Amino acid sequence: MRWLQGLLSVSLLSAGAFGAKKSTEERFKNFHAKALSSAPVKLNDASYKDLTAVPRDYTGVVLLTALEARFGCELCRQFQPEWELLSRSWTKGDKKGDSRIAFGTLDFSDGRETFVSLGLQTAPVLLLFPPTVGPHAAASAEPLRYDFNNGPQSAEQVHAWIARHTPDRPHPAIKRPFNWMKWFATATLLSGSVSLAYVAWPYVTPILGSRNVWAAISLISILLFTSGHMFNHIRNVPYIAGDGKGGISYFAGGFQNQYGMETQIVAAMYGILSFAAISLAVKVPRIADPKSQQLMVMIWSGVLFVMYSFLLSVFRIKNGGYPFSLPPFM
Amino acid sequence: MTAATSSSSLDLLASGGRGKSSRTLLRVVILLFIAGAAISSRLFSVIRFESIIHEFDPWFNFRATKYLVSHGFYNFWDWFDDRTWHPLGRVTGGTLYPGLMVTSGVIYHALRALTIPVDIRNICVLLAPAFSGLTAFAAYLLTNEMTTNSSAGLLAAAFMGIAPGYISRSVAGSYDNEAISIFLLVLTFYLWIKALKLGSMLWGAVCALFYGYMVASWGGYAFITCLLPLHAFVLVVMGRYSTRLYVSYCSWYALGTLASMQIPFVGFLPVKTSEHMPALGIFGFLQLMALLDYVRSALPSSRHFQTFLWAAAGGIFSVGLLGLVIATSAGFIAPWGGRFYSLWDTGYAKIHIPIIASVSEHQPTAWPAFFFDLNMLIWLFPAGVYLCFQELADEHVFVVVYAVLGSYFAGVMVRLMLTLTPVVCVSAAIAASQLLNNYLNLKSPKPEDHTVVEGVDVTATKKAKGGLKSTSKPVVGIYSLLSKGIVVASMTIYLLLFVLHCTWVTSNAYSSPSVVLASRMPDGSQHIIDDYREAYQWLRQNTKPDAKIMSWWDYGYQIGGMADRPTLVDNNTWNNTHIATVGKAMSSREEVSYPIMRQHEVDYVLIVFGGLLGYSGDDINKFLWMVRIAEGIWPDEIRERDYFTPRGEYRVDGEASETMKNSLMYKMSYYNYNALFPPGQAQDRVRGARLPEVGPTLNTLDEAFTSENWIIRIYKVKDLDNFDRDHAAAAAFDRGHKKKKGLKKRGPRVLRTE
Repeated sequence: MRWLQGLLSVSLLSAGAFGAKKSTEERFKNFHAKALSSAPVKLNDASYKDLTAVPRDYTGVVLLTALEARFGCELCRQFQPEWELLSRSWTKGDKKGDSRIAFGTLDFSDGRETFVSLGLQTAPVLLLFPPTVGPHAAASAEPLRYDFNNGPQSAEQVHAWIARHTPDRPHPAIKRPFNWMKWFATATLLSGSVSLAYVAWPYVTPILGSRNVWAAISLISILLFTSGHMFNHIRNVPYIAGDGKGGISYFAGGFQNQYGMETQIVAAMYGILSFAAISLAVKVPRIADPKSQQLMVMIWSGVLFVMYSFLLSVFRIKNGGYPFSLPPFM
Repeated sequence: MTAATSSSSLDLLASGGRGKSSRTLLRVVILLFIAGAAISSRLFSVIRFESIIHEFDPWFNFRATKYLVSHGFYNFWDWFDDRTWHPLGRVTGGTLYPGLMVTSGVIYHALRALTIPVDIRNICVLLAPAFSGLTAFAAYLLTNEMTTNSSAGLLAAAFMGIAPGYISRSVAGSYDNEAISIFLLVLTFYLWIKALKLGSMLWGAVCALFYGYMVASWGGYAFITCLLPLHAFVLVVMGRYSTRLYVSYCSWYALGTLASMQIPFVGFLPVKTSEHMPALGIFGFLQLMALLDYVRSALPSSRHFQTFLWAAAGGIFSVGLLGLVIATSAGFIAPWGGRFYSLWDTGYAKIHIPIIASVSEHQPTAWPAFFFDLNMLIWLFPAGVYLCFQELADEHVFVVVYAVLGSYFAGVMVRLMLTLTPVVCVSAAIAASQLLNNYLNLKSPKPEDHTVVEGVDVTATKKAKGGLKSTSKPVVGIYSLLSKGIVVASMTIYLLLFVLHCTWVTSNAYSSPSVVLASRMPDGSQHIIDDYREAYQWLRQNTKPDAKIMSWWDYGYQIGGMADRPTLVDNNTWNNTHIATVGKAMSSREEVSYPIMRQHEVDYVLIVFGGLLGYSGDDINKFLWMVRIAEGIWPDEIRERDYFTPRGEYRVDGEASETMKNSLMYKMSYYNYNALFPPGQAQDRVRGARLPEVGPTLNTLDEAFTSENWIIRIYKVKDLDNFDRDHAAAAAFDRGHKKKKGLKKRGPRVLRTE
């Protein structure tokens, strides 16, 4: 295999060397023809030089990436299908080459020299080489670099970026292929669940009609929401954090911060307090035996009192200036 | 408030033997006390500072009210305001909720007619406390519909009167739409329950009337528009369709929608946008249910046919839902508005509408905020909801639905704590009154009575299907005085603690006008920081009446209200591009900003700077939002990344990024700031940073005014240079030749003669 690869690179190199002498029109035609068969065009060091040589009357958009597993570039692999989709649908939508854009991909394994010469430490890098001659010529031949700092980008975002830098030209829209698999899966799942519901209906109805189940669902969701679960969900707070001394800090400092575990503790406290109140209000007056009733009153009142005192002390951690407290957690 | 805590015991005493009329009198007296407590606890800010309008939005409402009072209703309705959003202007009459202003206007004219000379400002300041008394009364009415226990209503009124969650938006001077809308919200709910219980068209119509008033007052009316249909839908799904439901819902929906369409700002939205579709859909669905109900009653009952009817109802409902989805995606119905949509898809606003995400009251709620605003009610609330499941009549379903939906919304957005508070007060009152009623009963049962009765009762109640597990046994009562004593004493402690908490929160957190700041001197005395008004007064007295002021949108209403000068953008954030333009001017280099300011005829730029005083709500801390909003429109020119150091820190000291240092906002904030300190010691007390020894230079702006504590800095935009130089060159020339200024004078000035 080795010799074949070597042969291939030699032949491509010579092609590149020939290409450099070609005119800008020929080079674009060459790349566009390749792109029509398979976009984006896979580049190597030589054809990269060819594509980006000046003068050029077309725009070159090149993705420098590192797809091989040993580089561990997660972002490269995530972006690759989007990139292929973008270049393919752009080329398909513009068969005549009116937009005069050539898409190319240079993998690190094919273009080590280019990476070194550009001084690139990270991948992926998306460069846009504006034309230097012709009607759309830009003032500077320096390539524009796309910002990848917000995580994986969608084809639409990159499309908008390219379209912004290539005004007065057609911008073929992105055509996402129809996802048959997803539709099929959804349909199967839907029919499956419908038939399951039909079969299980007699068993499910008593549960659906049970007041206790609905009471439990409502109370749990209320406790979740009032203990700040949505905040965790929106802000992606850490579940728990260290206190800097090797220990665990259960409660985040500050009024506007919280940890995931903290909210669970708070929800549990609210739940216990509510349960104690419900017991005192509903269950205890229904106990027929005076002695056990007395005992239950003592227990639940005690639980309520201690728990509320603890809640107040936790709140004082969050809000330093809070003046109220109850014993025993003063 | 003492009246409230003892209300149940008083009530009990009253019921001991005296007649119905004395109980009514007692109840009226207690309600009056509650209203008094509600109003007086909201007057902290007036006593501590003065009778002044607070914060931001109230200043616009105040300005609009003044316009209404002086120009009359029809002029107000057609008001085109050319002093905001320069040069666009704003069709104010058609883009506001007029309920608040009209209410104050009516009160003003009524008092005038009674020959009571009162300033419109005082009406505006005191409107919110006055309405809080009415809200307490409405909460009393609503709770009485939920339970037969008359003390629950009084407790709910007391809770509603002093719960910080509601006080936060209704202290004296907080002249905002919420001031009257919470009263209308609670009252509309009460009327809805009343209409539903009686199946009465009259009550439905009254409900629609107050719903119309609510629509005229606050954008939060959509909460009612979604909650009532949801309640109706849940009832139908539970198999509780009734003619009562049909009559009350249809009269409310038909009349209420017509009433809401009278408001120009709302117009045809009730039939065009997604927020209003549930109400319309349920309206149609109820017609279908009525038809099926009629068919069912007319035909001989057959099990199969009934199943067919139910399946038909479900089928048509799903087809309708599908049609709605298709109509929305095809564009016949406007999709959910950004603010509403971001309630469901919580990540939406941050990506697509930074202007919504930037507002602090649109942030999600951390748990301390719930406890801070509701204290003990937060754990009585689930208990009360549980008690609603005991009986689970139609009105209790409403409380459950409201409780779940309300707590979800309050968790997503801090601001919606306000809509949660009423239901929390109602259900907490139900729980507390049930507790107190059981333990405040002087009559104790005798143990031997019950051993016999129990056996009979258990079998009797077990037949009643669908009840809660915990209430399957009959109520016996509390035997020992000790148990009663313990529970009553601890409840009294909790209630007293609640009162103390509410007073403390109100006085410490919610009574600051934020226009006037207060700080403590070392000896404990209060020191008033009045920089805002000082600066606005300076603008009013030293600038042309039509001088355009550019500032970040937060201060637009205040400039319009206090300084009476035209602004570029204000708190009514209707035009994102215009706000982004201001954001771009603030975050770009001077050479970029100056043409923008010239194009918008800006005369002065106003910024808020807290570095000297340690005032953290200043513009440098808001700066990233300006950058983000500007980036949304000009992604090529403004990049958020450029404002951070290479290591990703947001800094203002010597290591700040070049873009940051060259931005207009940075320069305006720190211009001449070094002069206050010994060389090299300039310090920013908000961000705890030591500033570089050489401060920024400004070429296109002149410092016009800096307030006492440097909170407000105003700059004048320079005119074009007389010699047609660019400003940088002119400023450099001036700096370089400062010492030779004396040479410029060549002899005495002569008048031109030709």
